[in-house]
Amino acid sequence: MLVIFTDTDTDLTPKKAKEFGYHMISMPYSIDSETTYPYEDFEEFDAHAFYDKLRSGVLPNTSAIAEQNYKDYFEPYFAQGDDILYVHFSRAMTATFENMDKAVAELLEKYPERKFYTVDTKGITIGSLNIVEEIGDLYQQGKTAEEILEWAKTEVDKFAVYFFADDLKFFRHSGRVSGLAGTMGTLLGIRPIIYMDENGKMVSIGKEKGKAKAIARLVSYVEELGEDIESHRVIVAHTDALELAQELVSILNEKYQGLNIELVDVNPTAGSHCGPNTVGVSFHAKRRTL
Amino acid sequence: MRTLIIDGKKYSDMLRAGAQNLNANRAVVNDLNVFPIPDGDTGDNMYMTISSGANKSGGSDLLGDVAAVSAREMLLGARGNSGVILSRIFSGIAKGLSGVKEADTRVFSKALRSGVKEAYSAVSVPVEGTILTVYREAVESTSEHSVESFEEFFDSFIREARESLKRTPDLLDVLKEAGVVDSGGAGFIYIAEGMKAALSGIEFEDIHVSESGPRKPDLNAFTEDSVLEFGYCTEFLLRLQKSKTDIDNFDLDNFIKWLNSVGDSVVAFREGTIIKVHVHTKTPGNILNHCQLYGEFLTTKIENMTLQHNETHPKPAKEAAEKPEEFYVEKPKKDFGIVSVAAGEGIREIFSSLGCDVVVDGGQSMNPSAEDLLDAYEKANAHTVFVFPNNSNIVLTAMQAASLCEDTDVRIIKTKTIGEGYSAISMFDTTIGGADEIEANLNEIISDVVTGMVSRASRDTEYNGIEVRKDDYIGFVDDTIYIDEEERKEAVTGLCEKLNAGDFDIMLVLVGDSVSKEESESVYAKLKDAYKRTEVILLDGGQPVYDYIIILE
Repeated sequence: MLVIFTDTDTDLTPKKAKEFGYHMISMPYSIDSETTYPYEDFEEFDAHAFYDKLRSGVLPNTSAIAEQNYKDYFEPYFAQGDDILYVHFSRAMTATFENMDKAVAELLEKYPERKFYTVDTKGITIGSLNIVEEIGDLYQQGKTAEEILEWAKTEVDKFAVYFFADDLKFFRHSGRVSGLAGTMGTLLGIRPIIYMDENGKMVSIGKEKGKAKAIARLVSYVEELGEDIESHRVIVAHTDALELAQELVSILNEKYQGLNIELVDVNPTAGSHCGPNTVGVSFHAKRRTL
Repeated sequence: MRTLIIDGKKYSDMLRAGAQNLNANRAVVNDLNVFPIPDGDTGDNMYMTISSGANKSGGSDLLGDVAAVSAREMLLGARGNSGVILSRIFSGIAKGLSGVKEADTRVFSKALRSGVKEAYSAVSVPVEGTILTVYREAVESTSEHSVESFEEFFDSFIREARESLKRTPDLLDVLKEAGVVDSGGAGFIYIAEGMKAALSGIEFEDIHVSESGPRKPDLNAFTEDSVLEFGYCTEFLLRLQKSKTDIDNFDLDNFIKWLNSVGDSVVAFREGTIIKVHVHTKTPGNILNHCQLYGEFLTTKIENMTLQHNETHPKPAKEAAEKPEEFYVEKPKKDFGIVSVAAGEGIREIFSSLGCDVVVDGGQSMNPSAEDLLDAYEKANAHTVFVFPNNSNIVLTAMQAASLCEDTDVRIIKTKTIGEGYSAISMFDTTIGGADEIEANLNEIISDVVTGMVSRASRDTEYNGIEVRKDDYIGFVDDTIYIDEEERKEAVTGLCEKLNAGDFDIMLVLVGDSVSKEESESVYAKLKDAYKRTEVILLDGGQPVYDYIIILE
C-alpha cells in the first residue's frame, strides 16, 4: 500500500491531514535554544500568541531534523510493507533533506523491496499547501504513486505564491530571500513583494508602500498569472494579520465568482522566516514567474 | 657597504628587524580589511607569528640552525591565515638553508624558492591575489637576474613585491570591491623592508611580543539574537600519537580533504609529528573530535569570528594615522548612486537605511554649498547619481554642482520637502529600467505625497483668514498655513484633520529634536486612534526647526 507523508512546513493541519490520509513530519523551530516541534509539542497552534512574541523582538531559529528522526517516521511503514510518497517543502530552502536522503538510503538497503517517492513542492507554507491538498485529493481517488508523480511533473510549477512582508528583519535573519535591496528594515510602511520561483527559492521582486497597494499588487498577480483558478483552491495565508487577509479575500471574491478560498495561519516554523503581518496568496497559474 | 654573505647572526637580526618594522606598521595592515570578511587582524597575526620566531632565533652563527629554530617557533606561534602561510614561507626557507653555514645571494634565492613551494603546499586551495602571489612573484622575478649584494637583492625583491601587491585587486574581486590591496602581502613587504634595513649592521634588540594578554572581545557583538554568520576561526597543533594512528603513513592529503569538506580557509601542514591546522568552521567541536582520532592537542584556539571582527586589538605601536596611498585602489563605480540632503540625525539615518550613499547635512536653516554637494556626488561613486535636495532652496545649488560634475551623470529629482525625498527614495527601484525610466518613476512618485510641517510662528501675521500669533504653533504645507494653535499637539492633530489624513494609506510622522518622548507618544496614540485605516508610523527624526513633519501618501 502507498502511504503519504507531508511536513508541518506546508501548513497542513493535523485535522486536514487526517481527512486526506497524510502522515505528518514535524519541522521544528527554536526560541532561546528551546526547540518546539509543531503539533507534537502542542495540539493547537496559537498563531496570535506566537507572532506576538515575534513582535516583541524574539527572533526564532529553525533547524534541520536528524537522520534518526526520518528513520523513526518512515521505518515502521517500510517494515510493514508499505511504500511511501513524501510531498515536502522546498528542498532549495533547507539542508534537512540531506539527512533524509541518508536515512532513506539506509532504510532502502534494509528494505530493498520498498519504494520511496518524493514530490518537491518547491514552496513553503501555502506555496506547498495547494499542491499537498491536490495530491491529497488524488490519493483519495486511489491514484498510484506513478500517476501522482506524472501529475506533479507539470502541475508543481503551476501553483504560484505571492506575498508581502512587513518587516525584513526576519528574512534577513534567515537569509533565505534573494534580491533584497538596501539595509532597510522595519516599519516604514514599505512592503517587499516576494514570490517563490520555479527553483523553489524565495525571490524579492520590488516593493509597495502601504497595505492597500501591497494587497492590490498581490491581486494583480492573480489576475495576470491565474489560470483556471475557479476550479482549484485559492489559499490565503497570514501571520497574525487576519484583517489584511480578509481584505484580500473580499477583493478576490469581488473580482471572481465562486472561488474556493481557504484562509490559513502560517505555521510557526515557516513564520519564523517571514515574521508577523505577512500576507500571501497561492493560486493555480499559467506559470510561477511573471 | 655591500653585504655579500649572511650568517646565522645576521639572519637573526634580519628576522628581528622584519618583525620590528611590521610591528611599527601593523595598524596599517590591519586597516586593509575586506569587510565583511572578519579579517581585520592580519597585521597582528603576522606580527605574532614572525616575532615568535625572531625572539628565539639568536644563539647560533650557523645560518641553517637559526633558520630552522626560528621556523619551528613560528610554527608554534602562527596565528590566522596569513600568519600560518607566513610561517610556511619561513619553514620552506629553512629547508632551503638546511645545513648551510652561511649564504650568498644565490643560495639565499634558492632557499626563497623553496619557501614558495612550502607555502603553496600548505594551502589546500591556493588563492591568487594574496600573500602567496606577492611572495611568489617577488621571488620569481628576483631570481631571474643574479646580483651579488644582498642590498641589491632586497631592493629588487621589495620592488617586485610592491608591483605584485598593486596587482592583487585585479586578481581578487573582494579586494577590488573594498578598494584595497591584500593585507597579507602588504604585511610581508614590511617584513622584507625590515630585513633589508638590518643589513646595514645596526644591532637589533630583542623583539618583545607585546604579550597581548587575554584579548578582550566585545561580548556584546554577539547576542542571543545574533546569527552565526562567519563561524569560528579554529587553530590548533595536533601531535600525532603512535597509539592512535600509523604516524609514518598518516595521509595528510586525505586529512586536508576532510577539513575542506567541513570548513573553509583551510591551511594545514605537517612538521614532524605535529600537524598545524587553521580552519574556519561553524562546528569546531566536530573537527576537534575527528582530529582527536589521530592524536592529542598541543594547543587550541577557537574564536568566534563575529567577535574577532569587533575586537579591540592590542594597541599596535603606531595607530594607523596614515593610510598609505599605494595600498588603496579606486573602487569600481556602481551603476546608480543616491545623494540626499537632510538635517537631523534620525532623518539622516532613515535615508541611509533606505539606501542613500551619501546624506549631506543641511536643510531650511543651513543650505549646503555647491562644493559640499559636488563632493557628495563624487563620493557616491556611481555612473549615474540621483540627487534629492529635499528643500526648494537647495535645488538650484544642487543643479549648479551637477554642472560642475564632469564624469558623472547627475540627475536632480526636485524634491522640495523631506516627505517628497522619503517617498521617492523609499521606492527607488533599479529593476524597472535604465536611468531615464528610474528618473521618470521617481518624479511620478513625488507628485503623490503631501508633506505637512508644524513649527513655531516667528511673528504675528494673518494668512488666508487664519490669525497667526508669534510663538503659536502653525501647521502648513509648502507656503499655505492651515492652522494656528497655542498647543503644539493641537496643531499636529488639527493639521492632519485639515489635510484629510484619513484618505491616505500611510502617515509617517517625523518628530523634531525639541519634542519630548512623552509628547510624541501621546500624539502617536491620538493619531492612531483617529485614523484607523491609515498606517501611522512615528519616527524620531531629530530635525531642527520643524517640530513635526507629517508625510502623507
